[in-house]
Parts: sequence; structure tokens; C-alpha cells
Amino acid sequence: MISGRILVVDDEPQIHRFLAPALAAAGYEPLRAETGTQALRLAASTAPDLVLLDLGLPDIDGQEVLRKLRAFSDVPVIVLSARDREAEKIAALDSGADDYVEKPFALGELLARIRTALRRKSQTQPASSALEFCGLQLDTSKAMLNGESLALTKREHALLLLLMRNLGRVLTHRQILTAIWGPAHTEDVAYLRVYIGQLRRKLGAELSGKLKTEPGVGYRLEE
Amino acid sequence: MAPQDDGRPDPDALLASTARSGRGHLKIFLGAAPGVGKTWEMLDAAHAKRLKNIDVVAGIIETHGRAGTLAKTEGLEMLPRRALPYRGQTLEEFDLDSALARHPQLLLVDELAHTNAPGMRHAKRWQDVQEILEAGIDVWSTVNVQHLESLNDQVARITGIRVTETIPDTVLDMADEIELIDLPPAELRARLQEGHIYRPDVAARALKEFFREGNLGALREIALRRAAQRIDKDVTQYMRLRAIPGPWPVTERVMALVGADASAGNVVRHAARLAEALRAPLTAFHIERGGDDARTQAALDLAVQLGGNVVTQSATDLVRAVLEYAGQHNFTHIVMGRQPARRWRPGRRLAEALTRQSAAFSLHFVPLPAAPAPRPAHARHKTELEPYLLSGALLGVVTIIGVAADKYVPQEAMGLIFTGIIAAMASRSGRNAGLFTAFFAFLLWNFCFLPPVYTFSVSDPRDVVALLVFLLVGLLTGQLAGRVRQEAGSAAARVEALRRISLFGQRFTRAATMSDVLASAAEEAAAIAGAGALLLHGPSGLRVEAAQPPGTALEEAALAAAEWCFAHGVETGIGTSTLPSVPWRFLPLGGNAGCIGVLGVKPAAILSPPQAQTLTALAGQTALAAERAQLSVHNARAEAHQDSQKLRNALLSSLSHDLRTPLTSIRGAAETLAQAGTALDEATRADLLASITQDTARMTKFLANIMDMARVESGGLNVRRERLRLEEIVESAVARVTGALYTRVNIAPNAANVLADPALLEQVLVNLLDNAVKYAPPGSHIRISSAREGGLVRISVADAGVGIAPGELEAVFDSFFRARRGDSVAPGTGLGLAIAKAFTEAMGGQIRAQSPRNDLPADGMPGTVIHVELPAA
Repeated sequence: MISGRILVVDDEPQIHRFLAPALAAAGYEPLRAETGTQALRLAASTAPDLVLLDLGLPDIDGQEVLRKLRAFSDVPVIVLSARDREAEKIAALDSGADDYVEKPFALGELLARIRTALRRKSQTQPASSALEFCGLQLDTSKAMLNGESLALTKREHALLLLLMRNLGRVLTHRQILTAIWGPAHTEDVAYLRVYIGQLRRKLGAELSGKLKTEPGVGYRLEE
Repeated sequence: MAPQDDGRPDPDALLASTARSGRGHLKIFLGAAPGVGKTWEMLDAAHAKRLKNIDVVAGIIETHGRAGTLAKTEGLEMLPRRALPYRGQTLEEFDLDSALARHPQLLLVDELAHTNAPGMRHAKRWQDVQEILEAGIDVWSTVNVQHLESLNDQVARITGIRVTETIPDTVLDMADEIELIDLPPAELRARLQEGHIYRPDVAARALKEFFREGNLGALREIALRRAAQRIDKDVTQYMRLRAIPGPWPVTERVMALVGADASAGNVVRHAARLAEALRAPLTAFHIERGGDDARTQAALDLAVQLGGNVVTQSATDLVRAVLEYAGQHNFTHIVMGRQPARRWRPGRRLAEALTRQSAAFSLHFVPLPAAPAPRPAHARHKTELEPYLLSGALLGVVTIIGVAADKYVPQEAMGLIFTGIIAAMASRSGRNAGLFTAFFAFLLWNFCFLPPVYTFSVSDPRDVVALLVFLLVGLLTGQLAGRVRQEAGSAAARVEALRRISLFGQRFTRAATMSDVLASAAEEAAAIAGAGALLLHGPSGLRVEAAQPPGTALEEAALAAAEWCFAHGVETGIGTSTLPSVPWRFLPLGGNAGCIGVLGVKPAAILSPPQAQTLTALAGQTALAAERAQLSVHNARAEAHQDSQKLRNALLSSLSHDLRTPLTSIRGAAETLAQAGTALDEATRADLLASITQDTARMTKFLANIMDMARVESGGLNVRRERLRLEEIVESAVARVTGALYTRVNIAPNAANVLADPALLEQVLVNLLDNAVKYAPPGSHIRISSAREGGLVRISVADAGVGIAPGELEAVFDSFFRARRGDSVAPGTGLGLAIAKAFTEAMGGQIRAQSPRNDLPADGMPGTVIHVELPAA
């Protein structure tokens, strides 16, 4: 019945106190770490399926933990963060976190994010490059919406492809800009706003509602 | 002016026209002589303007009792005159301030060349007008051509009357419009005869003197020519503004040689006219030789007024200095004064040498002044008797000795001794003393030593020759030694000035703060001017910031002069043309960011040129140094601001962390219970419920702390002081702190009671215990003890935790100290210790931290003790 081991990294005992029974009740096996060092050791020895990481740790900074973790593992990481640390969120996502939730978070939302991250991990990269989502069919050369051909520019196409390949996951501005416009344009967030706006117009109400803006951080195509 | 090849307007000309655009418009009614009807014409035109609903006010009208003019003023608003007591009588002057306050569209100010009574803000009326124009008021004024500075000599030579009230030519150039009031001489004489201008008795005399037909004709011609010149200038300006190409001569340059003689002013005026006619730049060149009097300074000032610049050099070889400078700077014309034919004047040599050597220049000789300008009273040196008495005494003593030792001293030797005395006197007391000594020695030698002795006759013809040679040698020695002394003096003054300038450079680099800079500047200024000096500075009005001697105060008038200097960026006070009656001299401190203050000195005597230059340099350096000091203050402030910004961010993040953590836990526990309640076992459910209760308590405590701190900071703390049993208070504090289970209490019998507020002391202890619990390792003991220290009881709370770094022992009591370490330490508000400190101090006690504890094993954690000292009871 156990569907995955989740390593919870937080220095607050109170957090573990409710997360442990909550995760167990949802069918996961919770692992507990209170410091960065402990977290890295546990991640290496027990190979968890997912890591919940608080950034404010007593010994090593959470960002540092994430970088060290990424050196040996591509385990999905969800960052537990405070709303006033926008820059930290972005930095964490850029250094390889998959998602974040803001404290105080709703338990239901956290569990949903965990499920998404675990599912994405289990999906092997599609052998054919064709993707399908909510009536939208996309491959590297053409796009179809509800059976009709969708006219996209080359950039819009690439943007949509990137979002669909990372379904449910936050992509920071920097990640998207680097992937599509190249490393020279990592600060040109204005480009992105224009293209996202165009995509939303072309995708129709249902799909564009799922193309969420994460304020100050990036975009996410929700499942 | 260089030709504008690209056909673009000349920027200088554009600048001049825009500089004018914010100002009022000046119109001058120019006349050739008194009585031609300038004032009448002006009033007539003013009435016409008034009918066009233009707000015209007559600032001052000099009717000279002429009925026609008086009648013309009717219907015009007249400003009241300002009455000034002056030497027992009352003078009525134009009231500048009420004119500025009234602020009409157009103001009539008669007699532009008028000299104001002492005590007015400006020395001259044209300066009043300048201020009115700057205030944006249009001005109409009148002036006669003889009052123009550069025509002063010419007019004096024609009419034989020197006018002392003059206006610089630049004032006429400042006018946007000139109206020439022309009246043929015959008509003017007729009006005079009819009594329209003066009373009949005065008129009859005037007709014979100033108002001769020839005079009037010449003056009229001058006025017409000046007006024509002005029109020519307007055309030139117009052409430059519109980039109309034309032949702009750039090759001519005029140099005025200014010496220390009566012709200096003339030379400058002539050179200025020449420069004007040639459209060439003017430079007044002066060689300092010591003994420069006020006339030289006046001539140099005049050159500046007439639009030239001034170059002063120190040199022994006049001719070479002049030729070198003129050669290097491409001068084409040299103007100098014609020297009176005196044999021993170097000027004659200069003129001849220049004629011989200056193939490249046109030389102009200016005639001697027609009527000698009155020598300014303050420049006259008091003749000191002392050198002459000394000279007489020396010669007397030597003569007596010489006569007494007649047999041993040959009379030729006496001549040599006398020559020595002449040289000594000349180099000690100057040329005049030298010449006096020479002449006196000549008489003594003749009388006492040359046979026949004790007569002024000489028997031996060879002695006559010797006597003449002696006189010649004596005079020459006196003259030369005197000149050497003068030059040494001026060189010394220059060296002194340079030394001072380099000195304040050094001083100012050392002066770090604004007050250092100002104090140094005040000291230097006092050292230069030889009298009390001080420095004013500041944006919210001027204030004395530093003074030497300390405590020097400014009288009302001096303050006004300082304000003027600051507001207009010009030198004011004694020796300037603005408020010259004030005994202070003020220099603006102009830096890159505008005027920041003024430097004032109260000179004991007229400032010499090197002194004035040194002061100017001092003002410049002071301004720079002050600006630098201001910048460093700004930097420090910006840094402090950045620091407090950082602290505020840390504080916010700490607050957010402290609220968010229990909120997350409460919400999480509640949702877990709600969503998975049935799947959980009993123990887990109980634990989750307990967790909710605990975190709620945590938030309550946090809020209480914030309220406590707010109470302390708003000063709303009511402190009772009563005798308390320490044991009771400790007990209830321990009971309130969860986790303070392993507490050992050790209260000394002689330190059992304190004088304090029960609620506050309990809170102090709760906070200290909270802190100890937070940092102590689980299972370790927390020790509370008390001890007697004289009249005080020391309560100590000790833990075996991580301790405090030595540098942070004081900082731990700052609000949100923990915040600076980020949220990566144990949770807590970061306010606990700050509140403990505030409460302890409110009860008249003291608090301090100690780490490491000295009673723990050295290999473990250092631990911390917090000591609270309160009065024993």
C-alpha cells in the first residue's frame, strides 16, 4: 500500500509532528531529517522517492542542500517556503527544485503536488515526441486543438511544447527564457509575457485557464 | 570670435540672449547733457504705457525743481523715498526693497549714474537697477553720456569738468533698448536762457562754463557716436545669432599696462575703447613692485568692469616680462601711460625699451590725466617720523665720533661710512628714508669734514668733485636699496601667499569632518587678514559655524552683506561695490553644487592684492573641502540607511517565520485530523491536538512579547517597586516555562529579597528561562541562583548551551538580534532578551550576559549566564 518514501527536511519538530501522520495516512512512508547534513545522508542512503525541503535549516542553507542533492540524485524536490522569499523560491527552482508550496499550506494542496511530482517521475520520457493534453495534440512540428489545426508561431510552439513536457511543474522565467530564447535573454521577462498572452488567446478558455501565472516566479501548466 | 563655418548660430550669442529672457527689459534714455529732456521724455512715454493698462510705477524721479517735469509726474504712482540720516542731514534715496515688494510691470528709475548714500545696499544706483531687472521687472532709466566710464576722460578733457558719478559701459550694453534724446546745442542753450533748466543766476554761469556751444556740440557728437556704436553692436549680435557669416576679426588683442601711477585708470579706459573699436579682447597687465596703492587696484577693477581680464606678475625686468607675456599671448596692441619726463623713472626706460624691441606690437601712449583724479583718502600713507629721526641720530653719532677721532679717521673714510648708513637706512625703511639720509649725510660731510671745516664752502676743487660724486653715489644707493627692499617685500608677500595656499591644501586633506574644515578655514582666514575671521554656512539661512577668534559675532549689517554674498555669489563688504560700508569682506564658497556658504574676514587694513588672491584661493579650497566632507557624511548616512534597511528585512523575515511556523503546524494538524481522522490511532490524534494547543500558546506568547516591546517603546510602562520574595517569583516563572523541567534553584539567604515590580520581574525571568531552554541541550540543567553584591542582589540564570560569541555579548539584548542570523536558528521572537533588558532597566537594575560559564568542564559546550542585578530589600 506504500506508494513512496518521502523525506521531510525541516528543523521545526511541530512540522514533523503533523506531517508524519498526514503522509502516512495518505499512503507514504515519511522519513524525518532536521538538519541539512542529516537530509543529505538520508537521501543518499535511503533513496527517497520525493523530498520536502524547508530552506531555513540550522546547519547548511537549504539552497546548498539542494545543490548538493542534485549532484547525485534527480529525486523530485518540493520546497516548503515562505511567501516573502520570492528570490529564494526562484533560486531553488533554478537550482533544480521541482515545485514549491508556501507556508502555511493546505494539506490537500501539498498532497496533490506530491502526487503530480511522483507521477511525472514515474512517466518515462515519451518515446514519440507527440503529447496530448485536454484535447490538445502537440508534436515537434504541428499542433491540433480539438481536432482542428492550431496556427502557432515557431516561438509559441516551442513555448507550449516546453510547458506540456513539464506538465504540472513550475518553470521559472529564467528556465523558460534560457530554453527558448537562449542564455543571453534570461532577464527579458517582457518577451515571455507577450508570448504567454498570445498562447492564452489561441488556446481557448479551458486550456488558458490551466496555464497559470506564478506571480514573480514563472508559469505552470496545471493538470 | 571664431568664424562659424557650419552656419550654426554662435552658442555664446544664444546663451547671452537666453540669459536675458528671464530678466526684466532695460531701456535707457541717453542724453548728451543735462536739460535735454530725458526725464521728460521718459515720463511722457510712461504715460502712454499707462494708457495701455501697463502697471507703471515711478521708483524715483529727479525733477531738479523743473516745473514741466513735475507736472509730468502727475497721474503716475510714485514710490515713497527712503529717508536716511547722514551726518546730521536727511538724504532721500530710492527705496529698492519697496520697489521689489511692489513689483510693478515697469519701473521708472531716473539718474542711473547716481551714487547711493552710505549705508544703502549697493554703492551705485545702477546696481539697484540690476537687482530689479533680475527680479523680472522692466526698468526705464536715464543717463548722460558723460557718466559713461570709458568716456570719462574724453569728456573731462573737452569740458574741463571731471564727473565722479560713473557707470560701467557694460550697464549700457545691458540695456535692451537705448533711446537717444537729442536736442541741438542752440536749442538747449535757449531753454537754459529761458530758465527751463536752472535758476537764472545758475543758468548764466552754466552758459559760460559747461553749456558752451562747443562743449555741447562735442558732447552731442560723443552721444551720437556711442548710440551708433551700440546699433553697430546690435547688428553684430543679430548676425551672430543667426549665423550670418561675416568677417569676425580674431587677430587683435589689446594689452593695458597698468602701473602704480595716476595714469593707470586712463590707460585702462583707453585700452577698453580701443578693444571695443577693434572688437578685440582686453587684458590689463600689471607688474607688482611693492608699494602698489589703491589706484592700481582701482584701475585693475576698472579693467574687469570694462569687460577685460587681469594678469598680475612679479618680475624685476619690466620690459622682458611685458614682451614675453605679450609675445606668448599674441597681443597686437600695447597701451601704456605717457610718463612725465623725469629722469629717474623706470617708466621712461620702459617706453623706450618697448619702442626699440617690440616690432610686433602697436604701441599706444595715453596722455596724462586732464584733471588729476583725487587720490583716495584711505590710500594716503601716514608719514612716519621714526626712520628720519633714526637716520639723523645715526648720522649725528657717527659725525661726533668722526670729529672726536679726527686724527685717526681720514675724511674719505667718513664718506664711505656715510654711504653705508645710506644703504642701511634705504633697505630698512625704504627709498624716501634713503634719499633723506643721503642728502643729510652730504651736508654733514661737507660741513664737518671737508676743509674749511664747519662751513658749507669747499676750498679744494678736488673735494667739490668728491662731494658731487658722494651725493650721486648716495642718492643712487638710497634709490637702489629702497627698490630692492620693495621687491623683496612683494616677493616675500607672494611667497607667503603661496606657502599659505599650499598649507591649506595640506590642512584640508587632513580635515575629515565638516566642522574640522570650517574651523581650519576660519583660522587660515584670520591668519591672512590679520584679524578676526569666521565662516558662515548652511541652507536654512546663514549661521556662524566657526570663528577665529572664537565667539566672534556679526552685526546686523554684516549679516546682510553675508546674505547678499551667499544669494548672488559675489564678494561683498569692504573694498567691494556692494555694501562697502560693512567692515567685513565676504567671499562666496562656490562648489560644484552651487554656493554652500560664505567666508568672511574683518581686515584691519585694506587687503593687499596677494592677500585678496590668497583669500580667494582659500575660499575655493574651503568650498571643495566642505563639499567633500558633506559627501562623506552623505555616504555614511546612506550606509546607515542600508544597514537599517537590512535590519528591517531581517526583522520582517523573522516575524514572518515566527508567525508562519505555528500557523503551518496548527493548520496542518487540524487538516490531518479532519482528512485522515479515522485512519489515525488514538495516540496520534491526541498528539496532534496537543500540538495545536502548544502552537496556539506559542503564538499567544509571541503576541504578548510584541505587546510588551511596544509598551516599552511607547514609554507606557508603569513600574511599581515593592519588596519581593525572590523564591516566590522564581517559582511562578519556572511554572510558566514549558520545558524548564530540569531547573535548579539556589537562593542565598542574604539575597532572598529584592525591590522590584512583581509582574515585570516574573516576565524577565520567564524570558531568560525561555532563552535558556531554547539553547540548552535536552536533559541538561538550568540553574537559577542569587547572590548579594553590596546593596544589590544578583540573580543569575545559567544554561549549558552553545554560548555566545565574545563580540555579541551586548548585542544579544538588541531587538531581533536573532533575526540577523536568519531563520536558521531555534524558533523564538528574538524579542525575549530585549524585553528582559528593558524591564530590568525600568526597575532600576542592570542586565548582562556572560559566556562561557566558568563552572562547566572545558571540553563541553561553553554555556551562558545572564546576570540581573536589582536593589536588595
